[in-house]
Parts: sequence; structure tokens; C-alpha cells
Amino acid sequence: MAEVISTVEILEEIPEVDISDSVRNFAGQNGDYYIREFKRIQASKHGFCWTFNLGSAVFGPLWATARGLWGLFWIFSVLEMVLLVMLGLGLWGDLGIDKFNRADRLQVNYERMLDRVEAAREKGDEVGVESFQNRAASLAKARDKARAEGEAIAAGGTRLLVIAIVGLILLKLFEGWVANIAYERQYSRWRGDRTVRSGLNWSIGALGLVIILFVYVVTLVRFTFSNPPDYIVEIPIGKKLYDPIASGIDYWFDLASQNFAFLFLGVSRGIRIILDAVEILLVGTPWPVVMAVIIIFAYRSAGIRVAIFTAAALVYIGVLGYWEKSMATVALLGTASFLCVAIGIPLGVWFARSERAFSFGRPILDLMQTMPSFVYLIPIIAFFGTGKPPGILASMIFGLPPIIRLTTLGLRQVPKDVVEAARAFGATNRQILRDIEIPLATPSIMAGVNQTILMCLSLVVIAALIDAKGLGYDVLEALQYAAKGQGILAGIAILFCAIVIDRVIQGKFKDTEKGG
Amino acid sequence: MNNDVVIELNNAWKIFGEHAEEAMQAVNSEGLGKAEILEKYGAVVGIADCSFNVRRGEIFCIMGLSGSGKSTLVRHVNRLIEPTAGEIFLLGEDVMKLSPTALREMRAKRIGMVFQHMALLPHRSVRDNVAYPLEIRGESKARRWDVSQHSLSLVGLDGFEDRFPRELSGGMQQRVGLARALASDPDVLLMDEPFSALDPLIRRQLQDQFIALSEQLHKTTLFITHDLDEAIRLGTRIAIMKDGRIVQIGTPEEIVTNPADDYVRDFVQNISKLKLVFAHTIQVPFNQYKPMEGEDLSRSPRVSQDVDLDYLIDVAVKTTQPTVTTDENGNDVGVVSKDRLLQGIRDGK
Repeated sequence: MAEVISTVEILEEIPEVDISDSVRNFAGQNGDYYIREFKRIQASKHGFCWTFNLGSAVFGPLWATARGLWGLFWIFSVLEMVLLVMLGLGLWGDLGIDKFNRADRLQVNYERMLDRVEAAREKGDEVGVESFQNRAASLAKARDKARAEGEAIAAGGTRLLVIAIVGLILLKLFEGWVANIAYERQYSRWRGDRTVRSGLNWSIGALGLVIILFVYVVTLVRFTFSNPPDYIVEIPIGKKLYDPIASGIDYWFDLASQNFAFLFLGVSRGIRIILDAVEILLVGTPWPVVMAVIIIFAYRSAGIRVAIFTAAALVYIGVLGYWEKSMATVALLGTASFLCVAIGIPLGVWFARSERAFSFGRPILDLMQTMPSFVYLIPIIAFFGTGKPPGILASMIFGLPPIIRLTTLGLRQVPKDVVEAARAFGATNRQILRDIEIPLATPSIMAGVNQTILMCLSLVVIAALIDAKGLGYDVLEALQYAAKGQGILAGIAILFCAIVIDRVIQGKFKDTEKGG
Repeated sequence: MNNDVVIELNNAWKIFGEHAEEAMQAVNSEGLGKAEILEKYGAVVGIADCSFNVRRGEIFCIMGLSGSGKSTLVRHVNRLIEPTAGEIFLLGEDVMKLSPTALREMRAKRIGMVFQHMALLPHRSVRDNVAYPLEIRGESKARRWDVSQHSLSLVGLDGFEDRFPRELSGGMQQRVGLARALASDPDVLLMDEPFSALDPLIRRQLQDQFIALSEQLHKTTLFITHDLDEAIRLGTRIAIMKDGRIVQIGTPEEIVTNPADDYVRDFVQNISKLKLVFAHTIQVPFNQYKPMEGEDLSRSPRVSQDVDLDYLIDVAVKTTQPTVTTDENGNDVGVVSKDRLLQGIRDGK
């Protein structure tokens, strides 16, 4: 029979982990102190432990940097700085100086008013005397009020001083308490990751000292001196550099737009041709035909519910007289999306194939998406002028990145072994792209198309700024004249366009997923 | 060159990494080892100095643990991976000298490949998967349908033509993979751990099916596996790989009875010898055998010296006498006592 051992006995037999050597290694100086404290912290339950580090309490942020605890350094130094500013204000700050200055100015005015009272009296102008006296009295009242307020604030200085001193003491206690706990955490991380800072490092501590001296002194001067030097308050350069650079950019833009006018014109014309074709299709075709086609298409691709919603949206657009503008917007959007897809998919394929092209292109894509649209409207206006083609170009800058990214992503997610199998059966790169990569990346590419269309739509209002017309123009106009009704109606029309397009494409997209 | 040799690799090396060329030169001039190359050049040796021949109609198994370079090795035959050094011949042609077009031609017509994870095209029906090699070659749709039908019936998947791969079980998917490899009626089959991802029961079924199919089609096959049992079941000959090197090439019997080093010995230790070891390996020459008390060799059962141990057991349990083995002319050549038989079952010799 095996001896039955109770759980408690087993627990008692578990040997203690001895961290002494590794803590000594980690802490460097004062190793024995930290061994003791860390053991206490690790023995504490519920993660709470009374511990106090005198070094941290006295030196605060400096201790933190020297021990490599940068997070604590920032917390300590910011808190200390706030309290020191309070202390400075309490000790030598000109509190209430604004109010006293105001009181002085009022005093001057009051005396001037008294002079005018005298002058009126000499002239025997009774009405004047009374009116000037009234004004003098109100000036005196204002002066007394300002002076009283100033004194109240100045008296608050003592309170500020007390708060600052109490705060500093509490902060020091906090610094002493939190130090060992934070340092023990750092030690735990260090055990697994030797790049974590360990030991006591005076050179880093010196860096902390420099930072603190600089920050504390400059901040104290700024907040507590009544007349801090100008060069602290404002960057002492002014517009000396700004003006020549701005006019230089103007010059280069003008030069470029003159010399490459043929290029910009060519691009504009190209876009115009596509746009005209789409507009004739949407605007030129009688509205019952277009409406019927849209509803049937919605039904075929996304089912009856989306078809009903589409019909309702079209009724809204038609009844409120937005039909033509909506179709113009959709034409704008369609052209922009078509161009995005036509350019974006080949680029996406290229980026998926060439690591170098991708690493070069990715920052540009990031730039295109992060740059506020108003900023790139400026070069577009400079080179392409205003109207619909520049509006489409602006939409494209916003709409291109998703299709490129998702095409690249989709192609990269194609299983390597399937591609290898095709290669093993003698497929050429083109066959692999056509038979395997594109079909397998289709869900991702379709998501990209959808996003691109919605991105382009979101730029419709902004494109209206450069005279691209459509529904966006109504919203823009409403903004200018604070015409709430007009703005909301047109906004809802845009929203309906977006929802219908999104639903229909999503429906279509689900179809391809099922089929594949 | 021997006409019967279908695949030939001579001193093939593959070193992965940016400094592969320099590492290769260092190997040639200084004879650096795998660890030194990794340390000095940051390059990984995939396969090192591998040479072997595969004869027509043979199933040549390459067996090794994961990371031993066996999958890398098989990809050299159709140059899915380019060797850093060495020669590769397929059907007498120098594969390294083929133009890209000729290489694609060879892949499409001469080689069928089966992959560990099937690598079927998920967006195509079973039929279109099997027919894909023919589609690459530009065959007509009618021809593609005919061939894929035939190929699927070879692997017993009639009636599944219009299903999609995801609707099939793992075993069935791999049969589709096999049918695809057979579709272009290739001279050579490259099989990269085709049954490893399947559960043991299905694996055994597919092995049996594959054995039957090879007896029917006689395809020269290079078969990669990490399972020595599988290699022994299927292989005409086996090459054992370790750390990118081939440590031993031989028939299953040679490998089991005469392992080249401790590494191979470890592997074969638990392999059943019953079907691999034959009477002639364990028998004591007839004239040297000293009968024990009560033994009378004239009353012993007589069997051919080429029977395996499995058969010997069946014979031995029916008699108290040792078994006598004979050559093809019926002359007594050896004796296998029961002690000898038991030892043979355990040690293979």
C-alpha cells in the first residue's frame, strides 16, 4: 500500500525558489537590500505590500532614471514639476498681478474723471458735474473690486504654498512606496528578457538630471515670473523662414503647371471621356429605364429585401428632385472607382510580386490615406484646375489605397503549396496568376473594390469644393448658408446612394464566395 | 549512362541564404560542416552531397525525419528548388541545362507530383483539378474531361467529378491529388509525404491502393516519407536521410538487417522483420549444423531458402524438428532451428 500523502504535506515540501543571486545580479549596487524587499513583495498577497525606498523618496525621478525605470521617471518628474510651480507661485510669484494692474489703470481713469468733474463745476455745468460724478463713482467701485479680487488671490498664495508643501510630502511618500514595487516588476521582466535595463547606471542618471534641471528651471521661470523672457514663451524665429519657402513653392507650382500643361490637360481629357460616357448612360437614359435596371440588378445580386430598399431610396431621390444630381454623383463615383480598379489591381499584383516595389509603395499609400483631403486638393487645383475631372482625381487619391492593399493582401494569402503545385505541373507565371492567384484572391479584391467605392463616395462632398457638382454641391451650399433643410435632405440622398451601392456589391460579393 | 536509370542525382547540394555561393565554395575548399556554415555565413544547408539513381519502374523511398531535407531533395528533381551545386538527370536529360520553356514542358509531360497537403485548387471541381495539368498544356476540354474521368476511375473516385475538394474527406482529397498527378500520364511520380497528413487507417488503405496501382501502371516513383514502416511497405529501395545527407541506400531487407550506423539502427529496431528477412539470411549451412538429441533432419519439413520468416513460423509450429531449406534445385542447403528462428525474428539475422 502506498502511503497517502495529504496535499498540505506536499505543499510544505515544495522548496523555496531562491532569487537572491539573480536579484543581486540584476540590482548591482545595494543588492542585499533589494533581495530583502523583493522577497517581501513576492511574499505579499493580493499584490499589496508596505515597502519604502529612501533613495527613490529623496531623489525621485533621478533614482528612477538611474535604475532604468523611465515610465516612473516621467510620472515623478511631471508631478514634482506641477507641485514645484505651485510652490514657486506661493513663494515668490506675483499672484493677482493682473487684478492689481487693472486697479491701477482704473485709478488713473478715476482721477482723470475727478478732474473733469472739477472742470465742469468751474464752468457751472450742473448736468455735466452730475454725470461725471456718477461715472467717477462707478470707476471707483470697479477699482475697489479689482483691488479686492487681487488681494483675495494674493491671500490664496499662502494656501497654494500649503497645498504645494503637503503635496510634495505626499508625493515623496508615494515615490518611496511605489519604487520597489515597480522595480520588482522590472526584475521579473528582466528574467525573461535580458535587454531590459538592470543595475544602477549613473550616466543615465546624469541624463535624467540634465532633463530635470532644464525642464524644471524653464517651466518655473515661465509660470512664476511676472515677466518671463519672450524667447521662452514663443519660438524666436517668427516668419523669417516661412515666407520665402511658401513663395518658393508657389513659384515651382506655377512653373510646373505651365511647362507640363499638356500632360495635365491630357489626363483631364482622358478622365472626361470616360465620365461623359458614364453620364450619358446614367443621365441621358430615360429615368424609368435606369431605375428599373438598378432595382432589377439589386434584386438579382442581393435579393428581394435590398431590392425593396433600393426602390424606396430611388423614390426618395426622385420625389425630392435629386434624380439628375444623384446620377451625376454616381457617374462621378463610377468613373473614379473604375479608374481606381483599373489602376489599382495591376499595381496590387505588382506589389504582391515585388517586395521592393511594395516597400517603396507602402509609405506612399499611407500618405495618400492619412493626408487630409483638403491638403491634396491644393496641388490638384494648381495643376488640373477645377471641375469634374479634378474632382475625380481627388477621389482617386483617397480611393486607390484600399484596392491596392487588398489586392496585394489577397494575393499574398494564396496558399503557397497550391501555387507550387501549379508550378510543378508546368504552369507559367501568367497561368498561375490567372488560374490560381486571382481566383483565390477574389474575395479580398472584391472587398477592396467595395471599400474603394465607398471611399470615393465619401469624397464626393469634398470634391464639390472644387466644382465637381452633384449632390455634394447641395450639401456644400447648405453649409455656406446654414440651410438646414437643404443640407439634411441632400445628405440623406448621398447616404442612400452609399447604402444601395454597398448592399448591391456586398450581395454580389457573397455570390462569388458561394460559387468559389 | 544506364538506360534504365530514370532519375539521377549526383553530388547535389542546396544551401539556403544570401551567402550560399560563398558557403558552397568554402565547403569545396575547406570542407566546412553544417554548423560552421550556419555560424560563418548565416546559411542553412538544406541537402548536402546527395547522390542516388532511381531505376525504371522502381518505387524509391526517401525516408527521414522532419528537417532532414527530404522534401527539399525531391523538389530538385523538377527544379522547384534550384540546387547550389550538383547534377540532375531525368530520363537521360540534364535538367540543369533545360531552358525555362523546356523545363515547363518536362514538368507538364514527364512528371506528376503529389503533395503532403494535397494542394488542390479549392475553387475548382474535382474534375477541373485533375484536368489542370492538361489545361496548362492547352488540351481541349473534351480531351480533359475524358482523361480526368479515366484518371479518377483509376483511384476509385468515379462519380465525384463535379464535387468540390472541400466536400471530400482527406483521404479522398489525396486520391484526387494522385489522380491529378496521373492525368498527364507522366513517366515519373514525385510523391512528397502524400499520406502523412492522413489518419493511420486511411493511410494504410491508400498505401494498399497505391501498391496495387503501381503494379498496374509501373510508374517510376520517388516517394518521400517520414515513416519507415511506410517506406518498407512501398519501397523497392530506400534512402535514409539525416541532416541533409543520405546515410544509407538499400533494399528494405538490407536496411533492416544491415543498418549503416547507429542512427539507422535506432530506426529499424522496432520494425517487424517477418516479411523482410528470408531463410537464407538466418540459416545455418546444412553441413555445419549439429543436430541435437531427438532431432532427425531427414524428418524435417523442407522449404525454399527464399521464404520469409513469416512463412518459416507457419512451418515451424507444425513440427518438433528444425526446418531444412533447399536451393532452387531442391538440394538441402541450410537448417533453421527454432532458436535460430526466434533470434532472427528479434534481430533480423
